[in-house]
Amino acid sequence: MKQLTSALLVLCALTLPACEQAFAPAAEALLIAPPLGLPALPIPPDSPLTRARIDLGRTLFMDRRLSHNNTLSCAMCHVPEQGFTSHELGTAIGLEGQSIRRNSPTIYNVAYVEQLFHDGREFSLENQAWGPLLAGNEMANPSIGYVIEKIKVLPEYAGRFEKAFNGRGPDMQTVGQALASYQRTLVSANSRFDRWHFGKEQGALTAEEKAGFELFSGKAGCSSCHLVGDKQALFSDNRFHNSGIGYARSMGPAKKHRVQLAPGVFVDVEDKALNAFEQPLPDVGRYEVTLDPADSWAYRTPILRNVALTSPYMHDGSLATLDDVIEFYDGGGIDNPQKDPLLRPLGLTTQEKRALLAFLGSLTGDNVAQQVAEARATQPGDRPPAHDPASTFRRSY
Amino acid sequence: MKMIKTTNLARNVALTLALSAVLAAAPAFADETSCSPFTPLIKGQEDLVYVWTLGVKGIGDGSDKLVTVDVNPKSKTYGKVIHKLSLGGRGEVHHVGLSDDRRFLWGGALDSNKIFVFDIGTNPAKPKLTRTITDFVEKTGFVGPHSFIAMPGRMLITPLSNKKDHGGETGVVVYNNKGEYVSHEQMPKTNGGDGYGYDVGINPQKNVFLTSSFTGWNNYMMDLGKMVKDPEAMKRFGNTSVMWDMKTMKPLKVFQTPGAPLEVRWSWNKGDNWAVTTTALTSKIWVYKQDAKGEWQARDVATIGDPAKIPLPVDISITADAKGMWINTFMDGTARYWDMSDPMAPKEVFTKKIGSQVNMVSQSYDGKRVYFTSSLLGNWDKKAKDDEQYLKLYNWDGKDLKLAFEIDFYKEKLGRAHHMKFQARDLSTLQPLDVAQNLPALLARKQ
Repeated sequence: MKQLTSALLVLCALTLPACEQAFAPAAEALLIAPPLGLPALPIPPDSPLTRARIDLGRTLFMDRRLSHNNTLSCAMCHVPEQGFTSHELGTAIGLEGQSIRRNSPTIYNVAYVEQLFHDGREFSLENQAWGPLLAGNEMANPSIGYVIEKIKVLPEYAGRFEKAFNGRGPDMQTVGQALASYQRTLVSANSRFDRWHFGKEQGALTAEEKAGFELFSGKAGCSSCHLVGDKQALFSDNRFHNSGIGYARSMGPAKKHRVQLAPGVFVDVEDKALNAFEQPLPDVGRYEVTLDPADSWAYRTPILRNVALTSPYMHDGSLATLDDVIEFYDGGGIDNPQKDPLLRPLGLTTQEKRALLAFLGSLTGDNVAQQVAEARATQPGDRPPAHDPASTFRRSY
Repeated sequence: MKMIKTTNLARNVALTLALSAVLAAAPAFADETSCSPFTPLIKGQEDLVYVWTLGVKGIGDGSDKLVTVDVNPKSKTYGKVIHKLSLGGRGEVHHVGLSDDRRFLWGGALDSNKIFVFDIGTNPAKPKLTRTITDFVEKTGFVGPHSFIAMPGRMLITPLSNKKDHGGETGVVVYNNKGEYVSHEQMPKTNGGDGYGYDVGINPQKNVFLTSSFTGWNNYMMDLGKMVKDPEAMKRFGNTSVMWDMKTMKPLKVFQTPGAPLEVRWSWNKGDNWAVTTTALTSKIWVYKQDAKGEWQARDVATIGDPAKIPLPVDISITADAKGMWINTFMDGTARYWDMSDPMAPKEVFTKKIGSQVNMVSQSYDGKRVYFTSSLLGNWDKKAKDDEQYLKLYNWDGKDLKLAFEIDFYKEKLGRAHHMKFQARDLSTLQPLDVAQNLPALLARKQ
């Protein structure tokens, strides 16, 4: 952690709101100096970053015991070596293998996401942290209190919350703030693109990559949603769009599935052959939050930084490679009543597709190995509590 | 072959010495169905069948349990559940293995990673939980303890996954009979190895053990229908099997056996030196045999059903003389009997539909009684009306299977019926196949 902060964090004094000063000493507050290509890091005034909170949040993030049956950590779906997503699954699975409808999004640069989850149903990392912890098909803890009591009885956390939060122990707010603090540090930029585009380092990109950027911001129209500013680029508009992927998944006809049995060995399997198993779960996207039919099957625009590391793609992980993604958008998406009008057939040539692919590969930040190493250096422990926290809890007042 | 990682060399040396003492006069123990050659056998009528049963939310107490069934036709409770031991929670219990003296039964849970050790020697009709091992992940970094094969004073365990990413890279693990961790090794990722693991079969006479490969937690915990539709998930299956030196715990050779090779069985027929497995996804039978130079070779010798329909061959059970083998195909619920007289050219000679789904098969030593259970994995089992959960006993006369009894595990509020092991009420009746010079020592070892 010390190495991470030495690269990214600048120790400085902050002027904190009076209420926060009670449990976050100003002298410990940290600011992240954004790497080239990213804007200033949004940090809620009531949740300042401190070294202790970041370290604590990383430990919580990596701890499998934070699931009800001690098998799933945040990092099991957001695998550090796999771009903080999961390469192995189109859509995730949770406790006891329960199905989850959507792909695990990368959490690189998640601090810049305004509305979290694919459908934007949560508005702060502090609150978002509790969603997976309590969702019955994810980490499936029975209650908020259960999580807090469990953390209290795990010896690896003894005194750490109190140190990070000025004497305050684990509670709903401090658990959320610790996890949010760590995730906010997962910034990644200063990519070759950044050094070329913002740093004016001409040799940082190849001619093909430069041509790809011209297409990205020109003929292909990608930057209409994946925004690139004059001084920085999030590669997202933080808005929600219907590309047709979700519509087709929910409303499309039954289809055959090309199934790999072994490397190079495939068979076609029809939907009906799988009728004896679980049927796909309904998913109407952003509509489930706003209840506005216009938002049906719309999903958040992902930040494209580190996109070469975060396969598979789209909200349901249905596109395996960036080649597939480029082909999909070149075709103009899948028609449906709410399809975003920005999507249209692009008519890209093979050479242009290759250039786009090359450009996307230039968006990988320069600190990926470091972020992975720091995550793996954290050893939260594997031994579950000797007794279930619900069995031992006694009210102390 | 160079190992990826070697741990606890000194302890392995100790194990080597222990094995060497046994191998000096290794008896040709038989396969009862899938027992370790170091485990004494029931050659006559088995009295009890233990069924490792997955708890199902909403069924009875919803908890995993060890179910004991009386299977001696002379008993008043023949064909009845006579004991059930709930473990609390659902951990995806899967396989069980007998200790080297057959007095203890080890059962693993693929999700909770707990290993339960039951005393089945003091009162075989009422197994008692004597130990729960909870340090498996902490000691090894692996997830999903699957197969349990006894070695002298030890239990060889093959897990399926790892705690790092819940993928398929895993290893082999040794615990001692006290339930203490001894050592572990990574599955090879060099010389063609993919790092995946599944079952293990040991052959002391050749000083080898053979491992197969399946898939990681991400897949074995996922709904089967969802997985089949997920192209990324389907890329994550093992395609290799590995022959190991049993004394040194070093890989000798990696075989390319594409499509998830599963259960491993050795022929214990005198003079034979071959093992067999089947691939779940590609529906092949593979035989491993030494060539004229003594090098192990693997050969695809037959196709099971129509691979295009993914029949999903699952458990197998080889006869004591290795002349025949049962192969269950899960998707069509069918048991298939194969003539293995020529292992390099086996032939399917009989099929019978057992249920809407069928997974495990265990046959008595004489091959006359064949037991079937239904559950493959909690989330791979079929849903709704096709989710039949049962234990069925059939009598086999060499021509037909005739149902002797069946127990509906849902009607009995038990759960999903998975792995089976036999037991005798009188352990003094246990015996090896051919010679017994080492058996008293093994039986006397009570850890």
